[in-house]
Amino acid sequence: MIDFFASLYEWFGLNPFYRTDFGELLRGYDATCTGYIDSPWYSYIGMIMIILTSLIYAFQYHIIDSSGFNKKKHWWLMSLVIISLNFFIAFIIPFNIIQSSNYCTSLNVAVVDCLGFGFSNAIWSFILFLLISTPPIFRKLSHNCRETTFYRP
Amino acid sequence: MARLYIFAIGGTGSRVLKSLTMLLASGIKPNSNKEFEIVPIIIDPHKSNDDLKRTERLLGNYQAISEAAGHTNGFFNTKITTLDKLVSSENRLAKSFTFNLQEVGGKKFKEYIDFNQLDPSNSALADILFSGKSINKSGEEVNLLDVEMDIGFVGNPNIGSVVLNQFKDSEEFKEFASNYNEEDRVFIISSIFGGTGAAGFPTILKNIRDAMNNTNINGNMFLQDAKIGAISVMPYFNIESDPESPINKSDFISKTKSALYYYKDNVTGNNSINALYYILDEHNGNPYENDPGDNGQQNNAHIIEMISALSIIDFLEIPDNELETLNGKASRPIYKEFGIRKDSHDVILPDFEDKTQNKIGLNLSQLALFRKYLSENLTKSVEKQPWSIGEPQLNKMFFEQSFYNTNLKDFMNRFGEWLTELSINNRGFSPFNLDSTLDALVKGKTVKSGWLSKNVDYTLYDDTLNSKSKGRSYSSSEQKLLSLFFESSEEILKSKFGF
Repeated sequence: MIDFFASLYEWFGLNPFYRTDFGELLRGYDATCTGYIDSPWYSYIGMIMIILTSLIYAFQYHIIDSSGFNKKKHWWLMSLVIISLNFFIAFIIPFNIIQSSNYCTSLNVAVVDCLGFGFSNAIWSFILFLLISTPPIFRKLSHNCRETTFYRP
Repeated sequence: MARLYIFAIGGTGSRVLKSLTMLLASGIKPNSNKEFEIVPIIIDPHKSNDDLKRTERLLGNYQAISEAAGHTNGFFNTKITTLDKLVSSENRLAKSFTFNLQEVGGKKFKEYIDFNQLDPSNSALADILFSGKSINKSGEEVNLLDVEMDIGFVGNPNIGSVVLNQFKDSEEFKEFASNYNEEDRVFIISSIFGGTGAAGFPTILKNIRDAMNNTNINGNMFLQDAKIGAISVMPYFNIESDPESPINKSDFISKTKSALYYYKDNVTGNNSINALYYILDEHNGNPYENDPGDNGQQNNAHIIEMISALSIIDFLEIPDNELETLNGKASRPIYKEFGIRKDSHDVILPDFEDKTQNKIGLNLSQLALFRKYLSENLTKSVEKQPWSIGEPQLNKMFFEQSFYNTNLKDFMNRFGEWLTELSINNRGFSPFNLDSTLDALVKGKTVKSGWLSKNVDYTLYDDTLNSKSKGRSYSSSEQKLLSLFFESSEEILKSKFGF
């Protein structure tokens, strides 16, 4: 699972928004620099991103499910919430680790890497929201939002 | 499908027919296993009568709507058709709901009966039978024989009975007679205190019962024993006093008494009618303008006309075996009147007895709710809500086409106009707050509220429309529009207003 999320967040090695060492930290490279035995943050944050995005999707499409909240402007509003929360979570967790120096100090990491990771997580959450809500597979179960996507109504 | 032929005579006939059209549009149906197709035939010599013209337009709209959408959608679910549509072969009738009275337009009554050609003894008899005064189109006093009949019979049933007797020789009557089947029924709407209705009712009834002896038609054996109902509308409104006018309120009662006395021998007394409904309102409300007919004669809709229309629904609920006729005589004639629970100046739904409330309350409220949505919220939701986007689409293009833009919109405007007229009349009928918010629409009904209960507003309306349209298939956009709004308005009114 770590490798899966790592390859996602590192954009399959094409264009990571943070340094390789920061990726090591997220893989769970421990504070004593002995191995990958610390918390696997890639998996944790990836799972949080999926769950949070799915919950917010469900909140709009199946819990609120209102004709007063089913326009594309509402979709974009919810996507902004998703992006913001996921950016914040992906930023704040490694930021706290760096601030508390609870990581292998031989790794070359900085706050700017937290921003890059947050940005990466935000993009993936947006893509996920897009994937869940654009094809009618799930949204067709909604009464009032079954036609709601990023481009209509 | 069985047919109900409705003969709507005179101004009251047209107005009752208008009320019936509104009731049928709202989805009110007789509680009967039999389905009826309605064939209205308006009989009025006064072609420029505004009430007649309004009713014709309304019927035209109704017909166009129900033809496009079908008859299984809740609203507009009773078929209304013109007589000409029943004629399969050569079509000799105008595509109209109105019976074309020949030789009346621009003619004086004396010309109609060839008074100048009569021998001296018949001329003297005609002089006696048609003595008295009336007015012409310019409002000038003239002898009864000099009345120009294209403004009606101006309260003179003695003229009306002569002129309307031509009905039995008309194309309309021939087509009616040749299409009449055993399971069909006839209903005659007339007022008893004027000219056209008072004369027309017994004349038409007699012509139907005597159809076997009419050499002009292929003696239809079913007609003699036809199941015939009628409503005789007695005085129900007040009119302004005008010494120049031949129409006086004081004459209403004496004319009614005379006509009832005539009916005693020729209608009820000889059992020639199966079901006769009487209606009267002694309430002394605001007077109508005293217009003998020369100014177009347009009266506001009145609650009595709506109740009269309900008599037609009631007639259709009577089982066939209770309307048995033998040799032109009803075996068990039925006579009915109507009463309300509370003698209110401004009647609302709870003022009716339960049976009437149950019959009209929900359906009329549904149509009122539908009308309100169309006029206040449609543009906000079209192409924005799933009920509009889903197939078949109810998009902007659909709402620009004639089904909606010409017929339904026009009908709904007239429905609103009808409700307004009913409410401003006195005695009035104002069951709805037409300009209020949705939750205050139905007078006498409090919306159920609670912590988890949604407000009654257009969001709830759209929610219900979206919910009802989910997973449903419709044969056309027209059918979708009517059935979706019927089901949704029913759900809202039942769950929130306690219908």
